[in-house]
Amino acid sequence: MAGKPVRPVNAIDQTRRMLSLVTYLKERPGARIEDVARAFGITEDELVSDLDVLPMCGTSFRGGDLLDIDTDGDRIWWHNPDDVAEPLRLAADEATALLVAARAVSTLPGLRESDRQALLRANAKVEAAAGEAAGASARLSVTFESEGGVFADVDRAISERRRLWIRYYSPARDELSEREIDPIRLVSVGHTYVEAWCRRSEARRTFRLDRVAEIKILDEPSAPPEIELRDLSEALVQPAAEDPEVVVEVGPGGRWVAEYYPHDSADELPDGGLRITLRTPDPTSLRRLALRLGRDGRIVSPSDLADSARRAAREALAAYDGPQGVVDAVHGVDERQEQGL
Amino acid sequence: MAIAKAERLMNLALCLLGTRRPLSKRELRESIEAYLEAGSDDSFNRMFERDKDDLRELGLVIETVENLDGEVGYLARRDSNRLPPITLDAEEAAALGLAAKVWQQARLAGAASGALQKLRAAGMPEDLDPYEPHGALEPRIPVHEASFEPLMLACRDRRPVVFEYRKATASRPETRSVEPWALECWRGHWYLAGWDRDRGAERVFRLSRITGKVRSRNGLFTADIPDVVTVRETVASWAGETADRSALIRLRTGSGYPLRAKAAAVRELGDGWDELEIPYGHGLDAWLVEFGPDVVVLEPAELRADVVDRLRAVAKG
Repeated sequence: MAGKPVRPVNAIDQTRRMLSLVTYLKERPGARIEDVARAFGITEDELVSDLDVLPMCGTSFRGGDLLDIDTDGDRIWWHNPDDVAEPLRLAADEATALLVAARAVSTLPGLRESDRQALLRANAKVEAAAGEAAGASARLSVTFESEGGVFADVDRAISERRRLWIRYYSPARDELSEREIDPIRLVSVGHTYVEAWCRRSEARRTFRLDRVAEIKILDEPSAPPEIELRDLSEALVQPAAEDPEVVVEVGPGGRWVAEYYPHDSADELPDGGLRITLRTPDPTSLRRLALRLGRDGRIVSPSDLADSARRAAREALAAYDGPQGVVDAVHGVDERQEQGL
Repeated sequence: MAIAKAERLMNLALCLLGTRRPLSKRELRESIEAYLEAGSDDSFNRMFERDKDDLRELGLVIETVENLDGEVGYLARRDSNRLPPITLDAEEAAALGLAAKVWQQARLAGAASGALQKLRAAGMPEDLDPYEPHGALEPRIPVHEASFEPLMLACRDRRPVVFEYRKATASRPETRSVEPWALECWRGHWYLAGWDRDRGAERVFRLSRITGKVRSRNGLFTADIPDVVTVRETVASWAGETADRSALIRLRTGSGYPLRAKAAAVRELGDGWDELEIPYGHGLDAWLVEFGPDVVVLEPAELRADVVDRLRAVAKG
């Protein structure tokens, strides 16, 4: 299921959970397995495995004062509840995880105001209850980026199930295109994106909000087809195996390419550079990269991509060149610059 | 079959929380089946020390008390382990539920769920199911860097660290000795701010450029920790976002939308070109070159020279 918390199975997490579980069960004799699992954000199987362990636990196994907790498969009973089961204070990591996340989410510019207020109130209460444990949470912070106005419109369109019209900027082509989209959800992973069904391409597309130049909520209802939501722990943009391969060689000054572009391989070169192999559905989109790299790198293949970057550079240089150049016509030429050409 | 660690930890926690007087190691060993099965004294001692540390990580305050005979005992007092009263309404509970889901890093995801469970046990309302998507928003905090967890712990515990760091343009990493102050995630990347001992100055490091293991060092911080650690400002200046001057460019009509979005002034020239005044900070030359023949730099001369220089490098291929 999408949106489920990441939950590794480990002894620390299970112990933490079981300590809370006994407190919770004490207050709710005959609680239903289904309800308890939901309250704890775990599967029923995980809860049942906790219930298998708890009867082995107690203050002294020799004295026989083990927790007498059992279940008939539907309800859970604790027959000898004791006062060990009190709510426990938050650990430093727990306070940090919750407070840092709450602060980050509350800074999302497009968050509904009522949600933001609830979050700020909750944050203040948790901070007070955590006491000293809250101290370390100041050493971790997260800022989400999102464009407030666009965010609010997308959020509204999703809750009212309406279609959107957007003017969207594609850096690969350096152009704006108009399209109608049926928004599915908003996702913040560093930048904020809207995942949507694009009516123009009849496919699922992810749009970065800071590239939405204009947006309108349409009267038509949004009707995205039922599609399975992707797991967000993977990168948002995954190259496909059949995408064409591009090889780029960069010097030390171009090593950042390996940080910004998902790639298949990055091999060290003797000069301190890298030979990077990556795949992209549209290699022409990498002309920008080739131009940006300048003397810090070059496209090795495909050769027509390398050619197009060279052509673009020559064409650009022509504007700075010679007495009839467009620059001279407007502003005159800086002599020192032009002598070198 | 060996007894599961969670069962052992749970038993130790219950014993320490349940006692009114300090329990000696011997008493604990006799009370907990897993310790009886531990074999040698050495292996029991190692196991016991590790378990105590694990419970402390879970937030348990365990006191070590020496009695008159010099025997050491342990207990977790009720009043120092009890969560202070906290009353959350259904909306607040739902908001925390949304926030707790943002971590994609195992340790913090586990800690956030654990915090919610403790609050739940303390009576946090369940009317709204926090694990169902709340509204349309799904924020996620990405953590891909292996150095994140050790640095997070070092910041928390104020422990100096040493790691290999490769600067953006360097081919080889070098060893950096740092007093870590704070971690910050901005635009999906994690940064560390701290005191660089060798350089004797504050530095910001990008976690993706740390290679190999982060190693802890003994001892205390030597430099004062500033009240406000400014990671974002430093990174923004690397990214050229702190422009202090402006530049004048010609841009082909219809192209370069991001340049237009940043422009302080746009003037249509009518011949298929517009003239734009844009902020000029570090890195603008590289960005302008991306637009190829659709951009011509007019002023200042220094920026023109940088752009021409870059274009020539590409033209030569």
